[in-house]
Amino acid sequence: MTEQAPTLAWDDVRITYAGGTVAVDGVSLEIERGGTVGLAGESGCGKSTLAMSVLRLLPRTAHIDGRILLQGEDVAAMTWGRLRAVRWTEAAIVFQGAMHSLNPVRQVRHQVAEALALHSTKEFPDSASRLRRVDELLALVDLTPAKGHAYPHELSGGQRQRVMIAMALACDPELIIADEPTTALDVVVQAQVLDVLNGLVRDRELTLVMISHDLAVLAAVCERIVVMRNGRIVEQGKAQQILTAPVHEHTRELAAAFPVIGDPASRLVVGRLSSEPDPRSLSLSKGDASTGSTGGVGGSTGGVGGSTGEAVLEVRDLTVDFRSRGQHVRAVDHVDLTCGSGEIVALVGQSGSGKTTLARTILGLQKPTSGHVLHEGKPLPHRRAALKAYRRKVQYVLQDPSASLNPKHTVYEAVAEGTRIHRLGDERERVIRALTRAELTPPEKFFAAIPQELSGGQRQRVVIAGALALDPTYLVADEPVASLDASVRGEILGLLLQLRRDLGLGALVITHDLGLAWNIADRVVVMHQGRIVENGPVEQVLLDPQHDYTKSLLEVVPSKLGAR
Amino acid sequence: MTTSGSAAIRARRRARFKEVVREIASHPSALIGAGLLLLIIVLALLAPLLMPMDRLDVTKVTARGNESPSGGHWLGTDPSGRDVLGLLLWGSRASLLVGFSATAMAMIIGTTLGMAAGHFTGIVRAVVLRIIDFFLVVPSLVLAIVLSAVLSRGLSTIIIAIGVTCWAHTARVVRAQTLTIETRPYIERSRALGAGDRHIIGKHVFPSVLPLVMANTTLVVGQAIILESTLAFLGLGDPTTFSWGSMLKTALDTGAATAGYWWFVLAPGIAIVIVVLCFTLVGRALEAILNPTLRAR
Repeated sequence: MTEQAPTLAWDDVRITYAGGTVAVDGVSLEIERGGTVGLAGESGCGKSTLAMSVLRLLPRTAHIDGRILLQGEDVAAMTWGRLRAVRWTEAAIVFQGAMHSLNPVRQVRHQVAEALALHSTKEFPDSASRLRRVDELLALVDLTPAKGHAYPHELSGGQRQRVMIAMALACDPELIIADEPTTALDVVVQAQVLDVLNGLVRDRELTLVMISHDLAVLAAVCERIVVMRNGRIVEQGKAQQILTAPVHEHTRELAAAFPVIGDPASRLVVGRLSSEPDPRSLSLSKGDASTGSTGGVGGSTGGVGGSTGEAVLEVRDLTVDFRSRGQHVRAVDHVDLTCGSGEIVALVGQSGSGKTTLARTILGLQKPTSGHVLHEGKPLPHRRAALKAYRRKVQYVLQDPSASLNPKHTVYEAVAEGTRIHRLGDERERVIRALTRAELTPPEKFFAAIPQELSGGQRQRVVIAGALALDPTYLVADEPVASLDASVRGEILGLLLQLRRDLGLGALVITHDLGLAWNIADRVVVMHQGRIVENGPVEQVLLDPQHDYTKSLLEVVPSKLGAR
Repeated sequence: MTTSGSAAIRARRRARFKEVVREIASHPSALIGAGLLLLIIVLALLAPLLMPMDRLDVTKVTARGNESPSGGHWLGTDPSGRDVLGLLLWGSRASLLVGFSATAMAMIIGTTLGMAAGHFTGIVRAVVLRIIDFFLVVPSLVLAIVLSAVLSRGLSTIIIAIGVTCWAHTARVVRAQTLTIETRPYIERSRALGAGDRHIIGKHVFPSVLPLVMANTTLVVGQAIILESTLAFLGLGDPTTFSWGSMLKTALDTGAATAGYWWFVLAPGIAIVIVVLCFTLVGRALEAILNPTLRAR
């Protein structure tokens, strides 16, 4: 181990999976001691494979060419015993999805102590000293020792992620690899976790490799960002430079997916729609049957459009209680909300703020405890037969498109499902029209495909097409892009905007991402602990927030974290 | 649906079928089981040709009783001089018939009630679950004995008695699978599209529990055959038809085992073991193929 050797170096690494898939294609990258590097890219670009190769954590079917040097030592040449020693003591990994990486039936402090028991038996010979060390580690990540006695399910997502970081720090490694450490977390918690990582890097001079698809998140922690695509590095450079002046087209796509709030260039303009108007949209807007909604087509780039239509959905003094283990939980607390036709409303809030419950109640999937939901002025019926007619008019788009499609049904069946339920004729034309509107063209090509054969973005388009097949007057979309890749995110949001422009179709979009609201919404509704705390036009709420909670949400938007 | 679309679907189904066949082929035990089963079923169907019924007529037999196996009678004869191999062939018809039809009945009841218990909530679920629990804890043999004693004697009584007692376990398994499926977001999407219970059960739940039911079927067939033999052995079967169980009963009644006429005791016993084992082998393999978590990676 020489002093000059970089902490971690990949030298022309090429990783192939059985079946010939090349995950990493000739990557050379050096990370100097104390360096912080962010690996960015879409899912499937090979960033996780590259990171896992450092500790030889790839499945057996992976074949590695080239050299991976950890502290100047070739990882491939290590014996099994040496590798075990290196794992966790020199390099540790913070895995994605802390929910699944912790054992649900053990207290977290014992799980953190496990790494110590395996690797640091000299320094911490007995379990009492190990548990003392665990308390120190928990303090490092801003958790009280009492939290160590908790089981994973008793901790919030952010706390669990911090336990994972504490675990990674247990043996004082030189290098920490964080694989999407904040992806499943909402913005507020994400900011906490990023703060912890930032502090650790500063105080302990760690070398950090962080993987994410969100450039702003990486920029908040890392000095250098490396952008990957199809297993190759397409761009690398200083974080600020990548963020503000990307050179490669792919980087620009990634950067555009997470807009800066207040930047007029990304207001009501998404992804490719900004540069090239889609010719299909023009032909579609003429020939197709209107949805019967009246005003509010608007959506011109720039100003606020289409917020003047009459109210399609109205929520009056709505309360929803849940009873769990004898405790009453009020998920939605006296909420009033109005959605005009052709209006895109963003419902913003942290996870647990009751936004999904509100959406499900609006759709009649959840019974309100008190209050009313009104559709076109009429209260929502409670009988199922009457609800069926309502459900033709207001459609639901769920968060995870891969889960919201039956894996056994073809695209045709998935899109035609609503048509069949409502016994509408001309099934085939409806499917073709819906698929075309959802920009899956030519529609015939997709008929026989099953969801597994489609990409994430295409799947979400199928879900949207399934909703469009019924000619709805309003969409309710629950985190429609949260589980999609950055570039696909832009496409789907662009589609929502285009549907509004062509069909006058409004949407209630539930999200935790204020950038999304800035991207597409006319109005923002901020929800906090079941209550609506702020409600107004996007520009007003996001640029001049009144309520403290809105301010704190805006504080932690990643693009601002980087600037801090 | 376009012709090209449905053609593609057919092609995919064919591919999936081939995949299942290949998986079965990779389980040698399943292949042996399936092969033997096929042979037994063919033999049972051909029984009237191989061994005409009048050769088993007590009034027409020429052989003496309890002859040991020989060239004329491969498996010897029974106390009344009938050929044991012939009895075995004819007995397989009753055993398989009861096995299959009782299982079909049990599967239909079990799947229906299992899906109902998983899909509905409130009072329906409570009632259905209690019914399932009742049949789960009542000893099936005792219930079957009571049923076959109360109802008129005959093969159909045996089928009903077994069918009514074997479904509870299946219902539980189906309910568990239904609960898993019902939490999937695509069910929620379907509901939001306006789907009712019938649509959700028919389009989403039933197709997903079907593979499980298939695997379960093969396991229950073996169980049903044993139960049939037991009932016949206890003298509750149809006295006018041969079955492996009634052969064993005759053997017991005439003291074949103690008198050393082993061929008459072992033949039906081993036949039962082989058929049940075959069904179990095929069932286990099917289960492993259809349930990816059991599949070796």
